[in-house]
Amino acid sequence: MSRITAISLALILILGAGLSFYFFLSVPQGIGAQGVSASYNSTELIVLYANAQGWNYNSSHPNPTIYAKTHVLLEFKVIEQDNLPHTLTINPGNSENQNSAIVSVNIPPITGTVVWVNWSFGQPGTYTYWCIVHPETMVGLLIINSSTNQTASVVPNSIQGYQLSNLSIGNIYGAKFET
Amino acid sequence: MIFSFELAIFGSTISVLIIMFLLLYFYAQDYRKYLLEGKQEVIQERSQENAILSNMKRELSFAAFFMDDSKSIGIRYIITSLLFFFIAGLAGVGMRISLWNPNPTFLTPIQYNVLLTEHGTLMLYGWATGSILGLGYYLLPSMLKIKSDKLGHLNSAMFWFYFVGGVLLIFSRSTASWYFYYPLTDQLTEAGGGSYSFAALAGVLLILTAANVASIIFLKMIFFDRDKSIRLSKLPLFAWSIVSTALLILSSAPVSMVADVMLIYDLINPVFFTGSNGTALGYAILFWFWGHPIVYVAVIPAFGLIYELLPKYANTKVYSYKSGVIGLLLLMVLSGTVWGHHLFNSGLGTFWDLIFSTTSFLVAIPSAITVFNWIATLWTGKIRLTVPMLFILNAIIDFVIGGVTGVMQADVGINELIHGTYWVTAHFHFILLGMTTGMAFAAIYALFPTLSGGRRYNVALAKAHFYLTALGTYVMTVPWALGGFQGMPRRVAGYFGIFQSYQDAAAIGGIILGIGQLIFLINLVYSSTKPISVSNENILESEVIYGE
Ligand code: HEM
Ligand code: HEM
Ligand SMILES: [Cu+2]
Repeated sequence: MSRITAISLALILILGAGLSFYFFLSVPQGIGAQGVSASYNSTELIVLYANAQGWNYNSSHPNPTIYAKTHVLLEFKVIEQDNLPHTLTINPGNSENQNSAIVSVNIPPITGTVVWVNWSFGQPGTYTYWCIVHPETMVGLLIINSSTNQTASVVPNSIQGYQLSNLSIGNIYGAKFET
Repeated sequence: MIFSFELAIFGSTISVLIIMFLLLYFYAQDYRKYLLEGKQEVIQERSQENAILSNMKRELSFAAFFMDDSKSIGIRYIITSLLFFFIAGLAGVGMRISLWNPNPTFLTPIQYNVLLTEHGTLMLYGWATGSILGLGYYLLPSMLKIKSDKLGHLNSAMFWFYFVGGVLLIFSRSTASWYFYYPLTDQLTEAGGGSYSFAALAGVLLILTAANVASIIFLKMIFFDRDKSIRLSKLPLFAWSIVSTALLILSSAPVSMVADVMLIYDLINPVFFTGSNGTALGYAILFWFWGHPIVYVAVIPAFGLIYELLPKYANTKVYSYKSGVIGLLLLMVLSGTVWGHHLFNSGLGTFWDLIFSTTSFLVAIPSAITVFNWIATLWTGKIRLTVPMLFILNAIIDFVIGGVTGVMQADVGINELIHGTYWVTAHFHFILLGMTTGMAFAAIYALFPTLSGGRRYNVALAKAHFYLTALGTYVMTVPWALGGFQGMPRRVAGYFGIFQSYQDAAAIGGIILGIGQLIFLINLVYSSTKPISVSNENILESEVIYGE
């Protein structure tokens, strides 16, 4: 073991540890609840089926444009439909932008799992709701108007639910599959 | 479909895997040719330099990465596993420091989870497994007086499997912890923080492939290639410990490898472990079938090293060779049957819980046989407190503490209390730090003249390394055990304020441990500047005299 070997070994060990540590810490932080949900005085239910081919893919309106009002608590009931990992991610603007997301929630890849995501918007405007894993297919618009405006909200009635024939295990998770 | 980063990483991981297995196939074919067509001369030529393997001196040197004899392979593993040890160690110290306050001081939960996963996987698969393979490759040829080594190229390929596996583990930045439980593992998304767990799974697969092939080669060395003058009844106890380890790896690692492949497949088309058919627990069972044996893989060779080194520093012979062999082999058999003790709280049912609890209690028997054998050896000898001896004595004490905490938590009732707390973490750090890590360093110090080509290590620095490591282990793990028994949860980036004193004490222990390892490096550099002053005989080479 020459001196050069020993010194370079020590350097490799220290640099290796340091650089790896730096690399570990530079992991993408994902996106948590960065925004703050606004106050609200009423609530509204929105049902979304998470399917890699599109939100509410089995309904007559996949990836529906959702209209809602400010200061209304939107209760997104997100139902896993295809055993694949999904997220419900919402950011301002009419295109997907992971960095400005205000909401991002993982939907576990177990069919029938229901995840509730509650959010109340304080600012009117156009928002994009999408799935980080399937940004090509699972993306839709969320249009928030201030309370004075008259708007209708889609869902849940327009959704044609999951086709039971595709589902081998029945709805043991208590999820409702409307056909 | 447009370019997607996930897809690119996924694709390249799979291609690395495929290339690796093609390589393995190629080497296996090569070997088959040699077996069938007797192309002995060709291969002999290739490894001519290996002709007198057992007398060969190999120093720590980067040239080893280009040589294919067993000893150079051993050096490669030792160097690489040290690298993984330092990477994982820094991650561990980082976690400890971040836990100084109940609110994380500098790690976000996602960063914490990455460090936790990298620490667990790199320590177990990179350091524990790697250092054992390294010492096996390095020591067995001398101990067994093996004349030549015909599988150098296969060993070499396996080393690169192991190396690439470790690199994949690092680059995965997985957050799934070393269990890789479904469905956490199969989130192909950065939403959970860089969960490229399939890259980590591929890494584990590569490392386990290397471990399996190495196990077969070790068994071949021990049972077929050893010099005829060494009868089976006189086989060194280290060789017996490798027999035990190799059989343990071969009988359980493939189960986990199958489960890993199923996980990777589930990523594309979830059929195996999806919760909807109730088999999420199935993965846990497949995993722990190997998850428990790997912790014994990490200690049994350390037992073997103690059997070899202890008599040398106590100027005596091993008290009872026979019970030593029986203990080592019983450990292998019994530790294959206890994996259920990791799933007491997962709904296997009371019947199975009690069975696994009972088998876990039984493991105490061979452990005790082994420990009493060491104590009896110490009793009859004159102890010289050299640095390796200090590591050995500390390893024995740490193993006793770790073993007792292990038997305690194998009680189904107590397990209910301490499962998922730092008590468990304390249990295994006692053994993995005191025994696995301690004995690896003991072996490095004992072999230092050989490894450094005739130099001495600085004894003061080596003692400082020892005392800081031993002290750090206690200062870190005792508070873990105390806090854990009161319910201090493990695997969290922050915690309730009432546990702060335990966490802070453990953080100090972690820092002491880190400083201790730096002193090892300083010693390495310092001693390399000293002139060659001792013979570079391998002290583990000389014949061991056993009692009875
Ligand atoms: C007398 C022998 C032993 C017994 C009875 C025993 C028992 C146990 C039990 C019951 C657990 C599960 C605790 C829980 O999660 O609730 C456990 C965990 C563990 N043991 Fe042991 N153990 C023994 C020896 C060892 C040895 C020798 C090692 C390692 C070198 C070891 C390493 C581990 C590890 C790494 C874990 C935790 C795995 C994890 O959850 O990450 N154990 N042990
Ligand atoms: C250098 C000194 C070490 C330090 C400072 C250290 C520190 C830690 C810390 C802070 C944790 C995480 C506890 C938690 O949040 O649950 C941990 C977990 C762990 N450590 Fe270490 N450790 C060290 C050495 C080792 C060694 C030598 C090994 C194995 C050979 C090892 C194997 C593990 C394993 C398997 C886990 C469990 C990871 C998991 O829960 O997924 N550690 N260690
Ligand atoms: Cu176990």
